[in-house]
Amino acid sequence: MDQILLNIAFWFGIYAIVSISLNIEYGLAGIPNFGKALAVLFGAFTVGGIVNRFFIAIYGIQGEIIDSSAELKTILNQRIAEDPAFGIFLLLLCLSLSAIVGAVVGALAILPSARLSRDYLAITLLAISEVSFMVFNYNTSLGGGYYGISVPDVFAFYGGNRQLLFTILSLSVLALVYIIAERLSNSPFGRLLRAMREDEEVVKAFGRNLMVLRIKASAIASSIAAISGALFSLFTANFIASNFTRVEWTFYPFLILLLGGAGNNKGVLLGTLVLVTTKQLLMVYKHEIVELLMIPFETVWLEYIAFGFLMLLVLFYKPEGLIKEKPVIIKRVRDEKG
Amino acid sequence: MLLEGTLVYSNLIALLSLGLTLTYITTSVPNFAHGSLAVFGSYLALIFLYLFNIHPYIALPMVFLICGLVGVLCYLLILRPLIKRGASVVILMIATLALDLMLLGFIGAISDAIEKTTSKSAKKFIFTIYDFEIFGISGIFFVSTAIMLATLFLLWLLLFKTKFGIALRASMENPNLAEVMGVDVEKTRLFSWFLSSALAGLAGTLLPFKQEIVPLTGGLIIVSIFSASIVGGLASVLGAIFGGYLIGISESLVTYWLSMFIGPEVLLYSKVIPLTALIIALLLMPQGIVEGLRKWIKSFST
Repeated sequence: MDQILLNIAFWFGIYAIVSISLNIEYGLAGIPNFGKALAVLFGAFTVGGIVNRFFIAIYGIQGEIIDSSAELKTILNQRIAEDPAFGIFLLLLCLSLSAIVGAVVGALAILPSARLSRDYLAITLLAISEVSFMVFNYNTSLGGGYYGISVPDVFAFYGGNRQLLFTILSLSVLALVYIIAERLSNSPFGRLLRAMREDEEVVKAFGRNLMVLRIKASAIASSIAAISGALFSLFTANFIASNFTRVEWTFYPFLILLLGGAGNNKGVLLGTLVLVTTKQLLMVYKHEIVELLMIPFETVWLEYIAFGFLMLLVLFYKPEGLIKEKPVIIKRVRDEKG
Repeated sequence: MLLEGTLVYSNLIALLSLGLTLTYITTSVPNFAHGSLAVFGSYLALIFLYLFNIHPYIALPMVFLICGLVGVLCYLLILRPLIKRGASVVILMIATLALDLMLLGFIGAISDAIEKTTSKSAKKFIFTIYDFEIFGISGIFFVSTAIMLATLFLLWLLLFKTKFGIALRASMENPNLAEVMGVDVEKTRLFSWFLSSALAGLAGTLLPFKQEIVPLTGGLIIVSIFSASIVGGLASVLGAIFGGYLIGISESLVTYWLSMFIGPEVLLYSKVIPLTALIIALLLMPQGIVEGLRKWIKSFST
């Protein structure tokens, strides 16, 4: 039972970060990023493919990335066990570097379609994300392909339950991201993004460049999403591209957002809690479900059908989500009213 | 052999992008479930083959009908109610994304169930051994070309020789005006969803003669379909067919050509080519190749 709660808490942190990032992009700026998984993939790749390579070069380890990463993991785990400060340094390095990589990838991915209408945006972002996923999945020398590459355990100095530490970590990062997202959404920039979502022509008429606004929003959001990818990779202590599917990292964040209520971060938290809890329970009672319903197939397919259907229900009956977006009233207006 | 495979693949991509463009024109939503719908067709053909011993070529009319009906149901049960509620294009796109996931779930469930009941491989399958040969040329080449030509001919007859075709073209050009003039937009939408999904079913039945099918194939092939439609301008029937051949041919030939220089592992990354074409098209002529060329020629004549 404790393990289930811990699982829910950990995944709540990870998914809430991705969904808040999607909220900035879609909820505020109205960019339908159907390639959300791309930034998460690159965040995770930063840990496994970039930071690893950096240390492999420092230690002068030879060989293919898969083998040398395994060797590096042994060396670094030992070093972290002796010197906790190094582990923390590695953690911060991974998180900050993935944020930078995420921002660059987000800005680049939206570039070809940034000046076009929303359907073109959605199609192009989805296509870029799918093709990148495929390349990372097949290419073993880039990021280990389907074999994956090992990642050092940044908490190797801790003897107890490492998931507890990672849960605390993911929830603290979430708290930080939440505060940043709230401030952003109430800032002049956030209001500008909302205005763009409601009416692009008005924003253009006020002399703002839609393309620049979209690139900025996407860069900020992708940078946040990449952090959750990095956390995921550090937690599982490996990087395997096949973990970053469109269903898990694009569709589920959209479901969370629409279920909770697009445009407001409290709704995102509620939506995340509902989805993550359902998913964990499905996982725990997998065998019972198969036996009870006597279905001749794996529960993952049932999960897809159920969550696809849930999305349609939300679109039909609760398009504004469980918690509706409230109009933003800035302090000066509130003072004058009151 | 290479040319043959290229043409087969291009025929299928053109069929798929034609269908995608048809529903985009009448409903103005890019259907993200189009790839999965095709793979759903592949699995229907597999069911006919394994359970009823019906050859995929014989099963074509049945898959055509079933997929067409699935498309009509998708429109009637999901998209029409949402459009009536005034849902935005983004909401409609998300709905087709949800539909895509549900279809993937069904496809996966079917593949598991087939494997359990027949103990034959269904998670990964190919039809090439069931194909026939004429003068050393594979049957799929003739069948896919015949279907493409028949589709083009019938579509031409329908669009330009019947009253319904005039109504259809009118609602393609300007749905609001057409509605005011008494054209039943609803009927044209129903028709486009039927035809689009039925064609996806045909392409899905023929695809296993060319490449291996897994439940996730739909998610990958959608990249080629969208690229073909966007290169064609997304809202032009002629453009979609043109784009389909352009993407199909370049995806096959460029990857083959690259594989001679770099090595066979390039074949794994074939989808990079349609993505590159998509990005180039968006940067240079986002209005599509037919419109783009027309403007380009005009700029010379004036």
